[in-house]
Amino acid sequence: MNLIALILAGVLASGAGAAAPAAEGSRPAAEAEVGKLVGSVVRIDMAEDGKSAVAVLKDSKSEEEVEIFVDDQLTLDKFKDKRISAGDEIRCKYEVKDGRKHSTYFRKVGGC
Amino acid sequence: MRTVLGAVLLVAWASADARPGEHPGRAAMEQSGFAGAETCLACHPDAGRQVVGSVHWTHASKVDNVEGIDKKAVHGMLNRIYTMCNGNDVINDMKEVRSDSGKVKFTGCNTCHPGNHVQGVASKGPGAEKAVDCLLCHSSEYDFRLRKGYRDEQGRVAMGRDASLKAALAVGKPGVKNCMACHEGAGGGQYNKRGFLFSKETDAHAAKGMLCVDCHQGKDHRIPTGFDPNLWANDGLRLSCAGCHTEKPHKDADYNRHTARLACQTCHTPLTGGASAKDFTRWEKQSDGFWEPSTLKHEPNETRAVYAWFNGSVKYEPHLIGPKGSRKDPKSRIFPFKVFEGKAFYDKKTGNILGMDFAPPMQTGDALAGVASAAKIQGLAPYDPVPGWQRIYFANSHLVTKTKALKCGDCHSPGGILPFPQLGYSPAEVEKLTSSRLHFEKSLEKQRAEWD
Repeated sequence: MNLIALILAGVLASGAGAAAPAAEGSRPAAEAEVGKLVGSVVRIDMAEDGKSAVAVLKDSKSEEEVEIFVDDQLTLDKFKDKRISAGDEIRCKYEVKDGRKHSTYFRKVGGC
Repeated sequence: MRTVLGAVLLVAWASADARPGEHPGRAAMEQSGFAGAETCLACHPDAGRQVVGSVHWTHASKVDNVEGIDKKAVHGMLNRIYTMCNGNDVINDMKEVRSDSGKVKFTGCNTCHPGNHVQGVASKGPGAEKAVDCLLCHSSEYDFRLRKGYRDEQGRVAMGRDASLKAALAVGKPGVKNCMACHEGAGGGQYNKRGFLFSKETDAHAAKGMLCVDCHQGKDHRIPTGFDPNLWANDGLRLSCAGCHTEKPHKDADYNRHTARLACQTCHTPLTGGASAKDFTRWEKQSDGFWEPSTLKHEPNETRAVYAWFNGSVKYEPHLIGPKGSRKDPKSRIFPFKVFEGKAFYDKKTGNILGMDFAPPMQTGDALAGVASAAKIQGLAPYDPVPGWQRIYFANSHLVTKTKALKCGDCHSPGGILPFPQLGYSPAEVEKLTSSRLHFEKSLEKQRAEWD
């Protein structure tokens, strides 16, 4: 097999790979970067229109402050009436979009 | 004297100058301020007595649908011990707990009690009535940051409240958040106990803008509840889907035929969530330095319900709290349940479950220290703790769906959702019930219509 045939085979193989569904456990190139952390709320800055907020959490592992962008109504309501406020321990999952960490899961750890 | 005068003035002003949709007495409150329940009682003199007589305050009532318990005594969060909580208001009365890193938490089963803790669960009389935190349930502007434990000037553990004029001026019918502020945190974590979230994304009633109190319509501060194997205390008022929906709620007559033996929830709340298992004998250290019982948690709508016959009465054994009923019982219907398994210590001598005071294990992770403390509080000795599991069936009546309700083929097909053999059907009946032949034409028609 000469070099041209090898390159052609490689191109065909990669093309076939792109068309086929991703194998379980593999990560498609377009998938957003995701992350999670547990930490306490340092502060919550509501947007003026009330449609979003930035919650600053102190990561319990790294001790660093992490800004989380929140725009789901359920969590925003809890920010507004202070059911979630500074000092509360939070479990958070997020997706990185446009350089910001967008919350996909934002729950108080504790209960009664 | 000042209080009486204030009350008279409030009554006099209450009915004046109220705009449509506005709670009367606004002008009076703006002028005189808000003095807690006393302000409310000036115009609602019976409300205090009603609240302190309700299960929200007593956390217990007489219970007539649970086998093997004393029908003359009261039962509820006040005194029950089961493995979702493994404690009660007495054993786990709110107290100050300190982590090894010095963090302080006020915690206990009665942190949801709508009083000030000084007047605690099941307290009575004028002092109790004045301690009711009316705004916790009735204000849309309640600042929940203020509702936390603290030590008062006498060193007593007390519960804070938002008694601001802003909160008082936003008084009205309880909103969803007023209910869920307490109810979603039950069982030691968000959505743990009941496993549901009442939002437009997760519930057909919430999507229509309904509030909790639209179904749970209170009468004199008594709140109706449905029959539930694990919800024993009740205000003597019951509710069911039939309060609003007829016995023939569908356009499809075949669906309507099912309502005689199937609860609405069987098809309309097939999923559940929350804590599925919890081990009180093994505690895990959390990021905040406190320890919590190890728990398997799920999001609402993440787990499948379990189906069983239920006639409203409850089987109660040390290792099982579940529905009673059978196919042969005409009062029984098939219901979905959120099934929970909890591990706790049992007394080897009696076989009964032992309670646990959470303060010691929250600090150190030592579960047996919690059992010892609970035994001391209860005056229980001697005892011999051995670990054991308990299975609990909770009603699964929220997370109502119309669009994702079960359809013919979800049950009537090989491998369908309903466990017909366990529900008492013979092999020949199961063979028939799990065949698509039962609904082939109808389902085909619906499939065609979907694409027409």
